[in-house]
Amino acid sequence: MSALSNRNFDRRTALRAALGLAAAGGLAACGGNNGRGGGSGSGTNLVQMFHAYGEAGTEQAIKRYAKAYKEANVTTQWITSADFESKLFSALLTDNAPDLFEFHPQIQMVKSGQVADLTDIIDPVKDDFNPADIKSHTVDGKIYGVRMIDDPQFFFYRKSMLEKAKVDVPTTFDELMEAADKLTTGKVKGLYMGNDLHSVNDTLIWSSGAQHLDEKNQIAYHTDGVVEGLKKMRTLFTSGNLLLGAPTESWDPSSFNQGLCAIQFCGMWAMPAIQDALGDDWGVFPFPKVTDSGKASVYNGGWSMFVNAKGKNVDAAKEYVKWLWIDQKEYQEDWATSYGFHIPPRTSIAETATKLKSGNAAEGVRLFNEFGHFDNIGWTQAMRTAFEDVFANSVRKNMDPEKALDRCDTAVNRELKKLFG
Amino acid sequence: MSTTTKLDLASPATAKASSAKPRRGLRGSPTFTFWLFTGPFLIGLAIFVYAPILWSLWLSFFEARFTVTPDKFVGFDNYTYMLTNDDFVGSLGTFTVFAAFIVPTTWALSLGLALLVNRMRFMRAFFRSVFFLPTAVSYVAASLIWKMSIFSGVRFGLMNTVLGWFGVENIAWLIDPNPPWYWLVIVTARLWLQSGFYMILFIAALQNIPEELYEAAAIDGAKSGWQTFWHITLPQLRATSTAVILLLLVAAYQAFDEFFNLLSKTTWGRPPLMELYYKALGESQDYGAGSAGALILTVLICAVTLLQGKIMGFGRGDESK
Amino acid sequence: MTSTIPKVRKSAPASDTPSRVRRGNGVMSSTGLYIATGVAALLFLIPFYILVRNALSTDAEITGETWKFFPTDIQWGNISELFGDETVPFAQSLWNSAVVATLHTVGVLLVCSLAGYGLARIPYKHANKVFYAVLGTLMVPTAVTFVPSFVLVSSLGWVDTYRGLIIPGLFSGFTCFLFRQYFLGFPKELEEAARMDGLGYWGAYWRVVVPNSLNFFAAMATITFIAGWNAFLWPLVIGQDPSSWTVQVALSSYMTNQTVVFHMIFMATAVSILPLVFVFLFLQRWLVQGIAQTGIKG
Repeated sequence: MSALSNRNFDRRTALRAALGLAAAGGLAACGGNNGRGGGSGSGTNLVQMFHAYGEAGTEQAIKRYAKAYKEANVTTQWITSADFESKLFSALLTDNAPDLFEFHPQIQMVKSGQVADLTDIIDPVKDDFNPADIKSHTVDGKIYGVRMIDDPQFFFYRKSMLEKAKVDVPTTFDELMEAADKLTTGKVKGLYMGNDLHSVNDTLIWSSGAQHLDEKNQIAYHTDGVVEGLKKMRTLFTSGNLLLGAPTESWDPSSFNQGLCAIQFCGMWAMPAIQDALGDDWGVFPFPKVTDSGKASVYNGGWSMFVNAKGKNVDAAKEYVKWLWIDQKEYQEDWATSYGFHIPPRTSIAETATKLKSGNAAEGVRLFNEFGHFDNIGWTQAMRTAFEDVFANSVRKNMDPEKALDRCDTAVNRELKKLFG
Repeated sequence: MSTTTKLDLASPATAKASSAKPRRGLRGSPTFTFWLFTGPFLIGLAIFVYAPILWSLWLSFFEARFTVTPDKFVGFDNYTYMLTNDDFVGSLGTFTVFAAFIVPTTWALSLGLALLVNRMRFMRAFFRSVFFLPTAVSYVAASLIWKMSIFSGVRFGLMNTVLGWFGVENIAWLIDPNPPWYWLVIVTARLWLQSGFYMILFIAALQNIPEELYEAAAIDGAKSGWQTFWHITLPQLRATSTAVILLLLVAAYQAFDEFFNLLSKTTWGRPPLMELYYKALGESQDYGAGSAGALILTVLICAVTLLQGKIMGFGRGDESK
Repeated sequence: MTSTIPKVRKSAPASDTPSRVRRGNGVMSSTGLYIATGVAALLFLIPFYILVRNALSTDAEITGETWKFFPTDIQWGNISELFGDETVPFAQSLWNSAVVATLHTVGVLLVCSLAGYGLARIPYKHANKVFYAVLGTLMVPTAVTFVPSFVLVSSLGWVDTYRGLIIPGLFSGFTCFLFRQYFLGFPKELEEAARMDGLGYWGAYWRVVVPNSLNFFAAMATITFIAGWNAFLWPLVIGQDPSSWTVQVALSSYMTNQTVVFHMIFMATAVSILPLVFVFLFLQRWLVQGIAQTGIKG
């Protein structure tokens, strides 16, 4: 070996070794960074998972409540909304699953043993909850989730634009179509119901006089009324009066606030943002009836707290849910009314929530009570997806609604068979 | 370059190896050395690639809903379900058509760019960089620019603004499937993202074509231009073309990211992976059926690849010389 | 005498002098060539222009009724707004991505080049079977393995760690395949000379093969780094806590937030692309040379 090559060799060896060490060291050093928080709390560590609410201050609020809890150290995972389901569901398969999380009541989570029975903590205050919120979380007499907020969804309209076009607030779907036509001008579209129209899937079923599943958990959405509704939706879709391809989805009031449309389907939560942007130049109305036998409807969505039944700290998690979402009424009201507007599911809180007592907010509460429909716990994610395909196929694409519904039936029946036998 | 190597899958590596005899006992034995070199990779491959594949295979024979440790054996039920599912089978068909379109288009565009750039005297590095830069953009970011700005369906989208100057009404590019404008959006995004990389492969290949071939052709009276392109350049690029087409085919069938971001919640233009995501692997959490579908797709990709290899002579690089 | 090993392959950067400009003169004049390329280049640059324009505009101008080619007032403040945002740790996510992509690149190059060399050069009777087992993994869509991989990595306790982000991605069949193709064409005489010197495969690899293959390593490094930086789905599920988000995950959090703020989204996107542009501009001179040496060529 010449000296030269020896030196090269040594230097290279040293460099390799250094790189290797650095890599190993980096990995080891960062291995402890698992987001589980330091051990400042007393003993138990809990992890809760939330989807990212759009309203400013929401994340800080949830973390503030958690910090006020003394019995356990609660860490929050705040997941952006489009990724929420995939992240929650993949996490639930593992040991790293959150101890508690928010979601909607869906029976497959109960049947597969993913969520814990919360009957014992809810029972004492059951009468203070909106009965519909109890019913939608109950399977075989057991209650599986605590409702945090109810979110009615309906149409928002620009008063000035309707006045200018001499249009009254629509009371039937035909009037809505007519209004959309009259309100459409060069740069403004009459109506926005989301790019994929899926926000109005459920209300279309109800306003056509049907429902998703009947008492025996059999298909009840496949009716002549729904077929008629789908045909009308198709006419509206091709009329050129709908805002389509907007950069934001319908849960975001941006399109309405930016003046891209005169009427938008959105939710109660958006009221503060709309008030900021448009002052008093707006009002709300329910999804109008589609057929003569139908009735106007409002979708009462919302979010509920669930406890991971397979988690390591089921009891501690239940204690926390009880503390925050049952005992701490002050936080519950703050959560429902200080950021976006939501309706508190607790009657006693709803009665004292002053922000919901006047103006459009009060009107929202009225629509919620008069026209509202709640989630059916038997209507699962897979069925939801199947019905979304009906909309995509028969409204956006020109498939015969009967045929699209038949396809949906096949998928839904497969699910029903697996769930109820 | 001093050497020319071939894409010779078929030629056994062992045959090429020197006849060096093991000289220093176990440590020097080729078998030991082979595992010394490949061991770390193969162990990782076994743990992080093969174990999950086998796990999926196992899942596909079970009713695995909301769990990945199922106990209810269902035989081939999941496979029957996926193969009789119109949407899934339909997406396989759609994507065969899509592949038949996007693969030649990307091939032609990358080759075209490579030929242009390769002929430049000045600013060559500049243009090469411009065409390659999109490779550095993630699918997420590109989808965002396409969806929110260029092909947004409202008045402030770039395309609608440009069309507006000619009095054309706003078009909802991604929302209304009639006419199917969404293909324009998908195809332009994909071409923008991908062609630069393949262009680099072609430029590299062009630089390896021996100059003498062109000189000899010139002596034979071949005209510079299309003639030399057809008779020298194209045949010389055969091995590269074969490899590029293989990569493009696999990429076409595995397409997911930009479709997921651009065409969520449609029933059309869904690649098989997106169909699987909606039907099984995503929110519906039917991992048995999902795994079955993914394995069917794997078999299809293998079949198409082998077929392409047979047609284009994959691994017969030597003959193209 | 055992002298220094000759470097036959020079690792010089790609020469920008076209050696064969005269070919194909009949098809297109020089002016035509530049016009055509220029038009194509403009089309390729439009998305970048849009990105920068939107990143430096106000929301009102982005969504306004009339199209503005340039923002009336360039909003440099958008940059500090992005980094000052408390809910998304953007600077942290850039750092995470830099660490992850760098270690990912170092790891992939190390592991896959060794394996590629072993498969290409070391005589072992089952080498081909092993090679086909590697090649087969290219055909399997990641969706097949995604959920089991996640459960597996999670059971190792690697969620929210750099280990979980990096290690499972190191074993790329594709990169191994490219290295094997490259090493098949590596001049054998060089290694044999080195082995005569008593270096063995291991010594010959590090002292002769690697130093003479730096172009190719640089090319692979570019591609691997880009892939590592742009990876999305895996970091999304592994990085549960915002402190372990990569920049792509942070970016998606802007896109899918319930309230869309345009200038923030585009500024975040622009900032996420910038590091790659630099990496590429530095490394691209080796890229063509490196790839010219793979099996993927004419």
